[in-house]
Amino acid sequence: MIHNHIKIAWRNLKKQPFFTFLNTFGLAIGMAGCLLISLYIHDELSYDKMFADADRIHRVNNNIKFGGDERLFAVTPAPMAEALKNDFSEIELVTRFRTRGSALVRKADDLANVKEEQTTYVDASFFEMFGIKMLVGDAGKALTDPNTLVLTKTAAEKHFALANAVGQNLVLNNEENYTVVGVIQDFPQNSFLRDYTIFESMAGLEDASVVNWGSNNYQTFIKLIPKVKAADIQLQLRGFLGKYVIPGVQQFMPGVTEEQFKAAGNHLIFSTIPLTDIHLYSHMVAEISANNDIQSVYILSFIAIFLLLLASVNFMNLSTAYSLKRAKEVGVRKSLGSNKMELVRQFLMESGLISFLSLVLALVLAVVALPFFNTLADKDISIPFANPIFLMVLLVSVIILGLFSGSYPAFFMTRFKPVKVLKGGGGSGVGGSGIRNSLVVFQFAISVFLIVSTLVVYQQLKYIQGKDLGYSKDQILILNDVYTAGDKVTSLKDRIKQLGAVKNVTLSSFFPTPSSRSDSTFSPENGNTSQENAVSMQTWGVDYDYISTLNLELVAGRDFDRIYGSDSTAIIVNEKAVRVMELSPQEALGMQYTPDFDSENPTYYTIIGVLRDFHIASLKEDIDAVSLHLGERAYAMAIKIVAGNFANTIKDIEGVWNTIVPGEPFDYYFMEDAFNDTYVSEQRLGNIFVIFTVLSLLIACLGLFGLAAFNAEKRTKEIGIRKVLGASVGQISIKLTLDFLKLVGIAIIIAMPVGWYAMAKWLEDFSYRIDIPWWIFVLAAFLAVLISVFTVGFQSVKAAIVNPVKSLRTE
Amino acid sequence: MLLQLKNVFKWVNSGGQRVFLLKDINLTVEEGEFISVMGPSGSGKSTLLNVIGMLDSFDEGEYRFLDEPVHTLKEKHRANLYKQYIGFVFQSYHLLDDLTVQENLEMPLLYKKVGSSERKSLVADTLDRFNIVGKKDLFPAQLSGGQQQLVGVARALISSPKLVLADEPTGNLNSKQGEEIMELFKQLNNEGVTIIQVTHSEKNATYGSRIINLLDGRKI
Ligand SMILES: Nc1ncnc2c1ncn2[C@@H]1O[C@H](COP(=O)(O)OP(=O)(O)O)[C@@H](O)[C@H]1O
Ligand SMILES: [Mg+2]
Repeated sequence: MIHNHIKIAWRNLKKQPFFTFLNTFGLAIGMAGCLLISLYIHDELSYDKMFADADRIHRVNNNIKFGGDERLFAVTPAPMAEALKNDFSEIELVTRFRTRGSALVRKADDLANVKEEQTTYVDASFFEMFGIKMLVGDAGKALTDPNTLVLTKTAAEKHFALANAVGQNLVLNNEENYTVVGVIQDFPQNSFLRDYTIFESMAGLEDASVVNWGSNNYQTFIKLIPKVKAADIQLQLRGFLGKYVIPGVQQFMPGVTEEQFKAAGNHLIFSTIPLTDIHLYSHMVAEISANNDIQSVYILSFIAIFLLLLASVNFMNLSTAYSLKRAKEVGVRKSLGSNKMELVRQFLMESGLISFLSLVLALVLAVVALPFFNTLADKDISIPFANPIFLMVLLVSVIILGLFSGSYPAFFMTRFKPVKVLKGGGGSGVGGSGIRNSLVVFQFAISVFLIVSTLVVYQQLKYIQGKDLGYSKDQILILNDVYTAGDKVTSLKDRIKQLGAVKNVTLSSFFPTPSSRSDSTFSPENGNTSQENAVSMQTWGVDYDYISTLNLELVAGRDFDRIYGSDSTAIIVNEKAVRVMELSPQEALGMQYTPDFDSENPTYYTIIGVLRDFHIASLKEDIDAVSLHLGERAYAMAIKIVAGNFANTIKDIEGVWNTIVPGEPFDYYFMEDAFNDTYVSEQRLGNIFVIFTVLSLLIACLGLFGLAAFNAEKRTKEIGIRKVLGASVGQISIKLTLDFLKLVGIAIIIAMPVGWYAMAKWLEDFSYRIDIPWWIFVLAAFLAVLISVFTVGFQSVKAAIVNPVKSLRTE
Repeated sequence: MLLQLKNVFKWVNSGGQRVFLLKDINLTVEEGEFISVMGPSGSGKSTLLNVIGMLDSFDEGEYRFLDEPVHTLKEKHRANLYKQYIGFVFQSYHLLDDLTVQENLEMPLLYKKVGSSERKSLVADTLDRFNIVGKKDLFPAQLSGGQQQLVGVARALISSPKLVLADEPTGNLNSKQGEEIMELFKQLNNEGVTIIQVTHSEKNATYGSRIINLLDGRKI
């Protein structure tokens, strides 16, 4: 029987190749899109779950409000780890990271350095905490001694074979000597340590064992004993403020109490976040790796469901439409005594067959699209064909989808009354057009919604990228690792400045990019170190050419100048800092502040200039208070070059670099790119929106196309009559097209407010955002109408030019 | 003279062979005539009517309608001629199912771009004249076959055509209903409308003033 069903189903599909193609193709696109997104989401949700006791590991967070500024930190004071170990019986293990960014690495007897992008100090408990096994070396003893390190396989193999790795001597940044004690496997892409390649022993870092509750630099992880819940330790953790932090502060601010601290509007709250939540829920200062946002997972899940729903709706729509053609078959079968259930089974078999064909096509599409998708999403996803669970899920989903999509058409068809359909008129009067129309409206509403969203996302991105940041990021090249030049850094600077295409050069470790952070709390000179007067500012060491190179604008006072000997104790702050000080720029000039009010002999800095505000983080965040002072050794150099042949200029700069610091990696980036990188997740969202908007439109159009074809066919008689009554081809084409446009119009009316609301919500994330412009809605509506006119118009004209003699023949 | 066909041929190519649907038709129709076309099924009656009604083209010969050479006219011009002077009545009525009686009547006027007020009065006059005022808001499915055909005739006449072409107008009706339609045609003819009808019924043919017999596309 089932064999017979399949045979007949196959025959029926072959009989209507156009319909079968539209249905299969539409469904396949929906499935392929849904499949890719599901793999993406699966990957996003899998972060850090590979660690053995991931469910028991948590990170300590630090929410500080001080000096008028509230921040969430992923880092804690160094002594936090020891305190946790001592105070909590619930905590089995504690480990800390102190990330230190990139490092230049060479074997002791080599000359050339290799750059490793991410390195960190870790406590020796690191291995036990995360269940990390050594490829070579002893995890039990590793990193207990100072100046030892462990590297990943990839990093190690750049210097030596794994077998003789242990005991090798490495030099970091040309000055720190380390002994290799082990090699570990590279971390997977979906772990928070994915970019880290070198792990240095915390034992050698003096700062790590100093009891200082005033600075936050350590990512602190805890492992709870089994069955303990993170919630159980929060209260006691909050008590750390009174127990450790306040007494620590009292050392330099005698008499400060927790009550005073809180009364001044400050707070400091320690809390924890599960390791496996960090990737999607944590957006704090000093994250170990860049995280994603759960919101994007939600948005993508929505899109995946939409796509599948659209495709399924398409299927229902086309199937019911085409089933009218088969009304006669149903009538005959019924009059021959076929029962309802058997008919339903027959039709479900057909939809199951289409569903299965679509799956095959979807897999092909997904395989073809995967490389593009990976680039788009910045992932390394593969389709797990060998995974039986995946195949099971796929199969079950297809069966469910087939049944779901096939059920409505099947029951719709079996409702046909044999007498009525056999008497003639085909399926006319069988109805169901109301539901078909609603489905078309639904599809187009989603498409219009997606068009609106895409346009808003792009407008916002354009706005951000074009916004005046308060400094000039164009044509500025940042050259990293200039400290390797040591004393020769000034001659490096001078030689580069002499290049024809170079306008200006400045040395600093800090530039207006999100990675530049160095918070200090400043107090005014009158010795009043009470918290109300403290100002939290970024402190950036710069040189005389900083402001002119970056085109920062002074609103009061002056730039640093070599003619003033006293400029070594001068600072230039921005307007935001002055606002926090509750002064006007003019009033601020001459004021003195110190960052080390806890010392015996604080150095006071005099404000000599005030800069117009400039953005250092993404425009999602407010502007920070910043102070500039002269000096300190610089890690990088900003080079302002003239527009034109960048490649040649960079080659010239590299030439200078190679003569002054031969053998050191020449590592540079454009400030513009660093800035754009801040918006990768928005960019990505934008790109994903475009792709899936196009896909959903494509599906909607396939549906509309099929429906228009069907409709034109169903209405041939009517069209014939109208022509006999004097209608022209144009009039009929317009009428047929307008009938569909009405539906699109309703869809537009429904989608607009929803789109407006959703995008207004999305924009709330940005401190600096556009007002959604009205033309976006006009454009979206116009696009939807245009696309549907193209889709339907062809069918309409085709139907309208048919000679009525043919369509009205009675015999 | 209302229209004249001269040596009209129409054929289709089937299997590399010409199959003639109309062969050497010569026909002159004067205004005010009432002609019945007869012949066995498949003899080309409908084809002839469609050619006269300008719904269908022919392959050879000449066709003059009110002294206009139809065979050389541009599509648009022909459409205008047709809209202005010709009304069609079908065996299976061919009313628009989704429209009421009144809306069905209005349709040809809309395509003729008749103004709204004139349209209203014409529809009202026609409803009145055909005694179907009470049915004006009903849909075709709610009418009997005879009533539907009555609407069909009314619709064909609403734009005051000179020529009404009726292809087996009583084919789907019982004899009483058929008789009523024929009486109506006769009355219209008396008012000056030219009528060409296709019929199988000898009796209906006698309403006409002239009978044309077709066999295999040829006039006999
Ligand atoms: N477009 C066409 N192509 C092929 N054969 C046609 C076409 N139109 C009509 N015929 C054939 O021409 C013959 C005459 O048809 P028709 O004029 O409808 O006959 P009648 O109305 O006298 O019954 C029939 O055999 C019909 O099948
Ligand atoms: Mg006929």
